[in-house]
Amino acid sequence: MAENEPKILSFLCNWCSYGAADLAGVSRMEYPPNIRVIRIPCTGRMSPKFILAGLRQGADAVWVSG
Amino acid sequence: MKNLLEHTGLEPGRLHFSWISSAESTKFVDVVTKITDEVKALDPANKKYVKTEPKVD
Amino acid sequence: MTQYIDKIKEIANRVLTEGKVEMVIGFRKGSVPMMNQPHLATSAESVDELVWDSNCGLNLANYLTDKKGTIGIIAKGCDSRNIVTHVIENKIKRDQLYIIGVPCTGMIDHHKINAMFDGEVLNVEESGDSITISGNGFSETLSKQELLAENCAVCSHRNPVEYDELAGDLVEEQKDVDQYASVTKVEALSADEKFNYFEDLLSPCIRCYACRNACPLCYCPTCFVDESRPQWVGKSQDPTDVKTFHLLRAYHCAGRCTDCGACERVCPMGIKIREFTKKLNKDCQDLYGWEAGLSLDERPPLDTFKTDDPDEFIK
Repeated sequence: MAENEPKILSFLCNWCSYGAADLAGVSRMEYPPNIRVIRIPCTGRMSPKFILAGLRQGADAVWVSG
Repeated sequence: MKNLLEHTGLEPGRLHFSWISSAESTKFVDVVTKITDEVKALDPANKKYVKTEPKVD
Repeated sequence: MTQYIDKIKEIANRVLTEGKVEMVIGFRKGSVPMMNQPHLATSAESVDELVWDSNCGLNLANYLTDKKGTIGIIAKGCDSRNIVTHVIENKIKRDQLYIIGVPCTGMIDHHKINAMFDGEVLNVEESGDSITISGNGFSETLSKQELLAENCAVCSHRNPVEYDELAGDLVEEQKDVDQYASVTKVEALSADEKFNYFEDLLSPCIRCYACRNACPLCYCPTCFVDESRPQWVGKSQDPTDVKTFHLLRAYHCAGRCTDCGACERVCPMGIKIREFTKKLNKDCQDLYGWEAGLSLDERPPLDTFKTDDPDEFIK
């Protein structure tokens, strides 16, 4: 692989960022393909466990968005 | 969360938080692009906290 | 420290005979020097077994979780702060408790003392501010100040914050101690240096979970390390697993840790576990001006929302 293609584990809130991601898709906007989205019911569902589990299993970075 | 992980040696660019409303698709694209660029700039070999398989002699 | 015991016994006997409490939680002499055991006194004879000296470093609040009935408890500064935390978290009701406050001048560090001598330490006598340590072929008298556990040396809450009765006069609080000296030192390092520092720090860990068991904050019915579906942390000695355990444990203590030092005290390998919780304590202090367990009426910062909560880390 010539270029560094990191995997960014993304935790997106169902009502906020997930909606934004959906809208971005519907509006045919372009954004980097490096994010791997996990939809969570609310950012309140987030736990430090998830972040560490993600990093442990090889994610390059973790992004939490509400 | 971020503070302790960085305290124990995680690179600052490897954990991000943001706040985007469901109407802000432009902001979403902006943030994704920014984060991806930032993570790309990091050395991929320098991943910390990755579980390694036990070494067998 | 030793002078309090008569008063403690007198109070314990009185509250037991008056029927105010069903038992009194305190310490009794351990089977090895410098290791006092927790003791539940229910009768006049068992009250006689109570001791109080500079080896009572365990945190007795640990034994209060979800207890029924009325309980008398002997509490030094940090114990009382953890009792407050327990009350705030609805783990026990304040009116179930009769708190016997003991002003504390610090506990001694058995790791440090054992490391000072080649042979086994067989006897430790305390009188006033000096401690005499003796074993096979050696005997030395040192001042207690030199032997204090690290958390006691930088403690700024020696007097109990919540009590029904005191066993002695309040002591003077230590001023001008830099609680976070070790944290500031690590903060100055680069990411790689930090990583290596903690890698070295944790390398002796044998995952015995003594720190978790001794900690008064760790009362989850099923600890995350015992969960297997999903399994958050591997059970191996792999450095990543060890680190995940310690990090997650520290996060569970965020905004609740009173720096009682029980975790370090019970660690069989002498790991400085407080390095993690200390950092979070410092953050709570810097970000929210919060120290755990000082008031029954205030909610901890991580379970309330205020519009002026710091949010610089959010994009």
